[in-house]
Amino acid sequence: MNGPTLDFSFLDATARGSMASKHVDESLDAIDGNMHECNFKAPAVEDFEGFQREVINYVKPNHGTTTLAFIFEHGIVVAVDSRASQGPYISSQTVKKVIEINPFLLGTMAGGAADCQFWQRNLGIQCRLHELENGKRITVRAASKLLANTLYSYKGKGLSMGTMVAGWDLNGPGLYYVDSEGTRLKGQRFSVGSGSLFAYGVLDQGYKWDLTVEEACELGRRAIYHATFRDAFSGGTVSVYHVGANGWTKVTGDDVGELHFSYYPATPVDDVDAHCGGEGKKEAEARAATEASAMET
Amino acid sequence: MAPEGARQHANWSPYDNNGGTVLAVAGENYVICASDTRMSTGYSILTRNYEKVDQMSPKTLMASAGFMADAQTLKKTLKARCKQYEFQNKKPIGCVSFAQMLSNTLYYRRFFPYYAFNIVAGLDAEGKGAVFTYDAVGSYERTNYSCQGSGQALIMPVLDNQLKTVSPLVLPAVSSATPLSEAAAIELIKDCFATAAERDIYTGDRVELWIMNADGVRKEEMPLRLD
Amino acid sequence: MDVVFGFVGYDFAVLVADRAATQQIIVQKLDEDKIVELDSTKIMALSGPKGDCVAFGEYLRANVRLYRLKYGHELDVSATAHYARNELAEALRSGPYQVNCLLAGFDKLKNEPELHFMDYLATCHRVNTGGHGYGGMFCLSLFDKHWVPNMSRAQAMDLVDLCVGEVCERLVTAPTDYLVKIVDKNGCETIVYDATDRLKKRRDLMADVAARMASMN
Repeated sequence: MNGPTLDFSFLDATARGSMASKHVDESLDAIDGNMHECNFKAPAVEDFEGFQREVINYVKPNHGTTTLAFIFEHGIVVAVDSRASQGPYISSQTVKKVIEINPFLLGTMAGGAADCQFWQRNLGIQCRLHELENGKRITVRAASKLLANTLYSYKGKGLSMGTMVAGWDLNGPGLYYVDSEGTRLKGQRFSVGSGSLFAYGVLDQGYKWDLTVEEACELGRRAIYHATFRDAFSGGTVSVYHVGANGWTKVTGDDVGELHFSYYPATPVDDVDAHCGGEGKKEAEARAATEASAMET
Repeated sequence: MAPEGARQHANWSPYDNNGGTVLAVAGENYVICASDTRMSTGYSILTRNYEKVDQMSPKTLMASAGFMADAQTLKKTLKARCKQYEFQNKKPIGCVSFAQMLSNTLYYRRFFPYYAFNIVAGLDAEGKGAVFTYDAVGSYERTNYSCQGSGQALIMPVLDNQLKTVSPLVLPAVSSATPLSEAAAIELIKDCFATAAERDIYTGDRVELWIMNADGVRKEEMPLRLD
Repeated sequence: MDVVFGFVGYDFAVLVADRAATQQIIVQKLDEDKIVELDSTKIMALSGPKGDCVAFGEYLRANVRLYRLKYGHELDVSATAHYARNELAEALRSGPYQVNCLLAGFDKLKNEPELHFMDYLATCHRVNTGGHGYGGMFCLSLFDKHWVPNMSRAQAMDLVDLCVGEVCERLVTAPTDYLVKIVDKNGCETIVYDATDRLKKRRDLMADVAARMASMN
């Protein structure tokens, strides 16, 4: 039964061990998500996590975000805000939180800005190398797994990322949530960041499978707008991307201030009834009218 | 990942903040990088003549605030890398490439950061002014103007008020170039530093401006409050 | 807060897990599968941080399959349990996998179903009934009262009903959707369990009780 068997010994290295093993073929280093391990300088402290907690107070990395993405009949819509803050200070209102990995893949950015920028650029490298080696584009499934594996190998080191990988491949639209805890979830509808609860509220109520592209983009924009309205850490510009069979396109970029006045035009105070939309006043009048007519009989 | 021989005492903290403010403004065909020259620790002034701006390559200036020991080490490393780049590519490094290199260099110290807040200013391949602004662990962004260091919260609002243009993220795109001549920008920067020196104890003594345009680089200076 | 529990019956073993993927207070997903099929006769329910669960589950599945390729026969259930325990024990000293698991399977040699309880500290124990987390604790007393040896499939599903009903009624943030996987000598069967019927029965019962109380006065 056990004749000359195949040599499987190369599979014997444990999943965790591969990070430390130095005997890996050097040419493989370049495509390994952990290629930077040796380049990262570590502090000479016993309590690594304590040191990270202390240092984070000094360097105050950029934080705070609302991002969302969802799959519908005509592809995927990705919408994000553009604010970055360091504590209470707004360090930028023009952050590009959608990272264009390649013409068919998008990544979104929430959490530490440097972590997201660096590792998604790294993902871009890994995806391009995959293309060169295999002669075809990487699937969204594989790309998200590459990122998840990279992040999982740094678990507990203090990275902070919540990202969505969205794209179009042979299997159609694909959407994955990947974070620095090593979580990787396939799904149809995600929102990530400090404003995600507010965005979910609008998004879940308005979501349908058979939205048109315009309706879907407006839903994404509206959800992010409402998140920027309620969440102090979100704001700036709402960018909306659409991913279809021919790759992604940026659909719109709108300043939140102008968006606010397009949704809620300023009206003179004495004209407020015309715009308030509530039916309460009409109902009360109708009730009064019926009561009055009842009195007459 | 913890290095061998890790046996420092529990509250080991190799950081200090030496204060100082750095600022850069980009125009259509120029860029200005400026900083004050005070270096402090706590409530003591260590020197009134510490230059925070460096020229890293013919088209690149870099200014750092924060912890000067880290900033100095960082600049030394980067200058060496710039030389290496020049030898390998037979041309000096451009400011856009330099900006990416700085980001990577900062990120490789993600777990033991350089406590330095940097601005890169330069002229891009088309000769347009470019400013890149960073956080301590390497996230960066190209902008038209930026200010970092102890005077950031005082100066940034002034710059926003004078120079803010439509966000580059807005689509359909609108031009977001700084609507200011070189001479007007120089005056604005001097005013900014004079203002910051009035209210920030870590900013003062002298401001130096490095002005880069098609003709090359020149320096201007202006005294600030010494108290 | 994952809800994971399981027990053995006459010639099969049952594992039940909820289908929610949560992050702090957000439910990110309602169709997650937390029960890995290691091979045709062994399934494992995992609870804990998502990243660890997936990494550990995929690693075990790959190695169980590798073993069959290498040696031409399958690991039996208890060998798999000991192998998994050993992996957890080794990981414990080098940044642990924080996963609690239940391994269920059908041992073809001994011709009997098995259930193994494991936690992230590498405790391993062969049991008839088991559960993890707060959800599991609600079930344990029900197992003590209602589980009997050699249960039929119908009896088993009644017991699952009972457990899910209890979890839904008493656990804060109880998940709404569950997956039931039954493994026997022929393989693994998956049942999508809808707890809403179960909840409705409970609600009707309570409404009935309230109505009868009201009529007493």
